[in-house]
Amino acid sequence: MVNQALALESMRDLLTSDTEVDGLERLGLLASALFGSPLQVASLESGEPPWTDGKTVFIDPAVDWRGRLQALAVQTSLLAAGSLAPEIVRKLVRRPGLAKRYLVVEGHRALTANDQLLPPMVRSLIDCEIAARSDSPAESLALAQRELQIPDPPEIFGAIRARTLLASRAGPDSSTAAGEHVPRQQSSKKLAEVDDDENEGAGAGAGAIDLFSSPVGGGGAIGKLLQKVLGVVRQLGEGGSPGADAPTHRTRSGARRGANFVLSTAREGAFDDDTDERHGITYPEWDVHLQRYRSNWCTVQEVEPRPKADDTALGLSDAYGLRRPLARLGVGLARCHRQVQGDDIDIDAAVEARVEVMAGTAPDEAVYLDSLRRKRDLAVLILLDVSGSVAEPGAPGQTVHEQQQAAAAAFTIALHDLGDRVALYAFHSQGRSAVKLMPVKRFDDDVDTLVMRRLRGLVPGAYSRLGAAIRHGAAVLERDGGTSRRLLLVLSDGLAYDHGYERVYGAADARRALSEARQRGTGCLCLTIGANTDADELRRVFGGAAHATVPRLDQLSAMIGPLFRSALRSAEVRRRTNTGAKPAAREGE
Amino acid sequence: MAGHEVRPYYVPVGNEEHVFTAAFRQGLSLLLKGPTGCGKTRFVEAMAYDLQRPLITVACHDDLTTADLVGRFLLRGGETEWVDGPLTRAVREGAICYLDEVVEARQDTTVVLHPLADHRRQLPIDRLGITLDAAPGFCLVVSYNPGYQSVLKDLKDSTRQRMVAIEFGFPTSDVEEKIVACEAGIDHDNAAQLVRFGNAIRRLETAGLREVASTRVLIAAGRLIVEGLTAREAARVAVVGPLTDDAIVTSGLVEMIDAYLTGRVD
Repeated sequence: MVNQALALESMRDLLTSDTEVDGLERLGLLASALFGSPLQVASLESGEPPWTDGKTVFIDPAVDWRGRLQALAVQTSLLAAGSLAPEIVRKLVRRPGLAKRYLVVEGHRALTANDQLLPPMVRSLIDCEIAARSDSPAESLALAQRELQIPDPPEIFGAIRARTLLASRAGPDSSTAAGEHVPRQQSSKKLAEVDDDENEGAGAGAGAIDLFSSPVGGGGAIGKLLQKVLGVVRQLGEGGSPGADAPTHRTRSGARRGANFVLSTAREGAFDDDTDERHGITYPEWDVHLQRYRSNWCTVQEVEPRPKADDTALGLSDAYGLRRPLARLGVGLARCHRQVQGDDIDIDAAVEARVEVMAGTAPDEAVYLDSLRRKRDLAVLILLDVSGSVAEPGAPGQTVHEQQQAAAAAFTIALHDLGDRVALYAFHSQGRSAVKLMPVKRFDDDVDTLVMRRLRGLVPGAYSRLGAAIRHGAAVLERDGGTSRRLLLVLSDGLAYDHGYERVYGAADARRALSEARQRGTGCLCLTIGANTDADELRRVFGGAAHATVPRLDQLSAMIGPLFRSALRSAEVRRRTNTGAKPAAREGE
Repeated sequence: MAGHEVRPYYVPVGNEEHVFTAAFRQGLSLLLKGPTGCGKTRFVEAMAYDLQRPLITVACHDDLTTADLVGRFLLRGGETEWVDGPLTRAVREGAICYLDEVVEARQDTTVVLHPLADHRRQLPIDRLGITLDAAPGFCLVVSYNPGYQSVLKDLKDSTRQRMVAIEFGFPTSDVEEKIVACEAGIDHDNAAQLVRFGNAIRRLETAGLREVASTRVLIAAGRLIVEGLTAREAARVAVVGPLTDDAIVTSGLVEMIDAYLTGRVD
C-alpha cells in the first residue's frame, strides 16, 4: 500500500496543477496512456499551436474536444515513437521549414505506430500515404531534408519547439549532459534564425566542423575555444558526435529515465557498514527539487542521554490503559489446546471428554488443537522528537514535550509488559552532519529506573531532521528488532525543520523516508500529541502514512488499536515493481 | 467437480496449451503466473477438459492450513473419523488440483506440496501414518499474481524450483477482441472499442495505477452493454469503478472513456 499511496499521489499530481482553469489537466491520464509514461497536460495561450516539452503537453483550451484529443494524440505519439529524441531535435533547431516538413512526415508515422492505442476519432487524422514513406524518425528527417515539396502540417499537428525541448531534456540530468553542447546553444540565441534553404549542404559543413569536437579537443579548453571562435553552434552528422563528450546514444527513453528515475527500493546507501559508529552513520536524503537522492548526506550519531535523578512519576497510569488495545495485536501463530474447532484432535481433551460421556456427564466439546494468532510477534521502535519546537505549550498546563514524554513512557511500559520487543530513541539535529539519536532504551535493555531517568533527562532543543532520524530508526529496527513484524512509531509535532531542510524539502524527505521503511516491511505510525500543528502541515510531512493527532494524552488508548493495526497492515502489502521495467512512478512533490 | 460438458472457452495466446500438456504427461507440476483476470483459471478449466481429468480448485487464503488441504480427523460419536482434504482427494483420484493464489497460503502449508511436486509424487499423511502415491493423472497446478503480494508472504524458492512456470499476459488486441466479443456476446466493433480502451489503461501501470483493466473487467463491461447500458456507462461501472476510489483519478479515467467510447450510443 505504500507504493500504492505513492503512486496514487503521483497520479493525482498528473491530474492537477496550480493553474487549473479548463479541465485540460484531467487529460493527464489519457496523455500518459498514449505515451506510456507519466505526462501532464496544460493549456497554452489561445491561438498558439500545441507542443510538448517531453513532460507536459501544451494544448489550446479554445479548441473543441475533438481538436484537443487530436492535438494530444499527435504530441504524445511523437513522444512515444521517439520522434523527439535529442539527436533528431538538435538538427531542427532554428530550421523552422525543416521542422515543419519533418512534423508532417513523422507525425503521420508516429500516429500509425501508435494506432493500436489511439481513440477512434483520432485515427481519421492519419494519412497512410505519407506515413508509409518512412519507418523511423531518422528516415523521416532524411525525407524532410530531401524533399521540399511536402505540404505544411495540419494546424492540429502543432509545432516542435526544438530548443525548449532540448533544454528541458538536458536540464534535470545535468550529470550526464555535462560537457554537452546545450549551454552553448543557448548562448548563441542571438544568432538569427535561418531557414534551411540557406543551409543546404549543412550536413557536409557540420561534418567538417566535427573535427573540432574530436575526443581530444571536443570538451577540452582548446576545443571549446575553437568552437567558440568558429561559431559552431550545432552538431553533427548521423550518429551523433564522435567526441567523447557527447552522449552518442542518448535516446528519448534514456533521457527520460535519467531525468525521472526514482529509486524505490531505497536501500541505496542506507548504511555504510565501514563507518565507525562513533563518527556516525551516514544516510542519504531525498532532494525533492532535484528528484533524486543525495547520497551519504546526513550523519547520524548515537549519543547516550544523560539520566536525571528525579523520580517523579511519569505517565505510568497511562500504561495500563494502553495495554488492552495493544494486547490484541498479538499476531504470531501459536498452537492452542482445547479449542472448539481446529486442525487436530487434542488427545488429552478428547479422552477426558470420552470419560465424561461414559460417566454420564455432559462432555466438554472443546477437544481440538488449533493454530491461532496469539503469539507476540512485534518489535516497536519509538522515535521521540526532542527538537526545540516541542518545548512550546500544547494542551493546558503542559508542553508538547511533557505529553510526548509521558506517551513514550506509557508505550514503552505497555509494550514491554506485553512481551513485545520495544526500543525508545529520542532525536534532534543541528544541520545535516549532526543528527543526534539518543537511545533511551535499546531493544535489549530492560525497562528500569535508569531508562525512566534517561527519559526524564531529555531536554528539548535544536531542530528536527526527521528523514535521517526515521532512516536510522528503521535501520536499527530492522537490525535489532528480530521479529517479522516491525513498527516504527514517531512521536513528533510534525515540524520538520533544520539547516537546509526547509518545510517543503523536509516534508518530502520525511515522507520518502517513511515510505522506504514501509517498503521494507516496517509499519510506520506517526502520532502528534497535544500539539497545535495544523492538519495540512501534518499531511504534508507524513504523507499517506498512518498518522493521527491526539489532542489529549488520555484519549490515546481509545485510538491506538486501529492505528497500530492499519500501520502494520500497510507494511505487509507492497507492490513489487518488475525489476528492469520502467520506473514505477515519478514521485512528484 | 466432474468437469464441463463443452470445452470452456479459451483462446491460446502462445504455446501454453502445449506446455501444459507436455508437463502433464511428464507428471510435472505447473506454476501459472500472471495478473488478475487474464485467464489463468479458465486456462486450467480448459486443460482439464482437454485432458479428461476432474479439476479440484482450492482458493488459498492466509489461514489455509495443512489440514485444510490434506484432511483431518473429526469426532463422530465416540469414534474419530478421517476426512480427506481436497489435495488428498485429488491425489487419490488422479485429478488436477489447482491452488489459486498460492502465496496467500501460509508458508508451512505450501511445504506439504514439496513431495508431491517433485519426482516422488507422494503425499505423506503423518496423521494417518501413510504415504499416498499420486494416482496417474494427478497434476498439481498453482497460480499466483506476481504483481501484488505481501512482504511476509512469498513463494519459497524450494517450492518454485519444483514447478514448470507458464507466464500469462493479457492477450494481443485481436485475440482479446475475439474473447470479449465471444464471452460477452457483443458485436465486434463494440469489443474492439472496449479492448482499445483497456489497452490504453494498461499503459497507465507505469503512471501508478495499481491494477489495470483485465480481460475480465472488459468482458463484464461487454455483458452490461448486452443488457442495454451504453458503452460509457458500462465502462464507468465495470472498468473505472473497480480500479480506483480516488475522485481525481476517476475523473481522469472518465476523460479516457470519453475519448475512447463516445461516438456511438448503443
